[in-house]
Amino acid sequence: MNEEQVWILQAQRGDDDAFTKLVETYQRPVYNLCYRMLGEPEYAEDAAQETFLRAYRNIGRYDINRPFATWLLSIAAHYCIDRLRRRRLPTFSMDAETDEGYEIEIPDVSAPNPEAEAARSEQREQIHQLVQSLDSTDRAAIVLRYWYDFSEVEIAESLSLTVPAVKSRLHRARRALAKKWEDSSAQTGMERMPYETPAF
Amino acid sequence: MKHRPFEDWLLNDERLTPEQKRELQTHLRGCRACTALAEVNLALRSARGVAPAPGFAARFQSRLAAQRALQRRRMAVGATVLTVGGLAILSILLWPFVAVAVQNPTDFLVSWALTFAAISGWIEALVQAGAVIGRVIPSFVPPYGWMILFSAVSGLVLLWGVSFWRFTRVPRHA
Repeated sequence: MNEEQVWILQAQRGDDDAFTKLVETYQRPVYNLCYRMLGEPEYAEDAAQETFLRAYRNIGRYDINRPFATWLLSIAAHYCIDRLRRRRLPTFSMDAETDEGYEIEIPDVSAPNPEAEAARSEQREQIHQLVQSLDSTDRAAIVLRYWYDFSEVEIAESLSLTVPAVKSRLHRARRALAKKWEDSSAQTGMERMPYETPAF
Repeated sequence: MKHRPFEDWLLNDERLTPEQKRELQTHLRGCRACTALAEVNLALRSARGVAPAPGFAARFQSRLAAQRALQRRRMAVGATVLTVGGLAILSILLWPFVAVAVQNPTDFLVSWALTFAAISGWIEALVQAGAVIGRVIPSFVPPYGWMILFSAVSGLVLLWGVSFWRFTRVPRHA
């Protein structure tokens, strides 16, 4: 039994300090999921706090044989989907992340020059905005796939979908993102020249 | 080559052989849709995690404490409303009796004594009837009838017990 499982068992017995350790361990992935889902730091903070409250209330029902991260992120994803369905959230400014969020900037030692790094940063902003335009469940599937490396089976379990449905949603979402990416690139004059294909 | 296999490779995140990679690169030079798809894949993969503002766990503890206080307040308000409501309903229901008892205490006591006597009489009659049936029935029921009856009752009790256990048991890790 690892340290995390010990904390979980202690939390299930009502130990608040053990649950706080779980909060400290998982605050970043939960907050990040909420931020990617809701797009705004204030909403993300509120959703992440609510996720942990729900987890606290339901920790007794958690099956220790399942990965805790999957269970917790599933709660967060469902909460964000419900919240997006309940109210229409506005489209957010591209500056939101730098204004309020705390993006973990890891210097890219492989960056050939600062311009390339700046372009990548701009791409990250652009993709964040495009992800906000997706349907809430598609958005959750994309976030779990790319930010958490969840397999299609794990996404299906987390979002209460079938594996073929997840596959179909991921395909649809990526096609939609690519279309918007192409359109926005054309609009901003940042269109990549045909010979400048991405490296694989 | 056609567009479809390249799009499928990109959508399914397939591991490509060096030969397939070369074919894909060639295709991407002439296909804007696949180029956009490949760029989106790369942009998604390069996306970074965002952390909350410092003090998240402390804010959670405050929120949890506030939630508990709210819950306690709600319980206190609920208990008060239930008690006051129950007393009000009881007063409304008892008011006719109280009014009669206050206006004419003798009649009230006599009517209650008569009602009590009638109920006692009914109970006594039922007990006597039960005793008679209890003496007569066993002579009509054969021994195997008692066995069937006993088995059926035991089965029902067992079924009830199992159902009760299943619906009320606490999860293993609770």
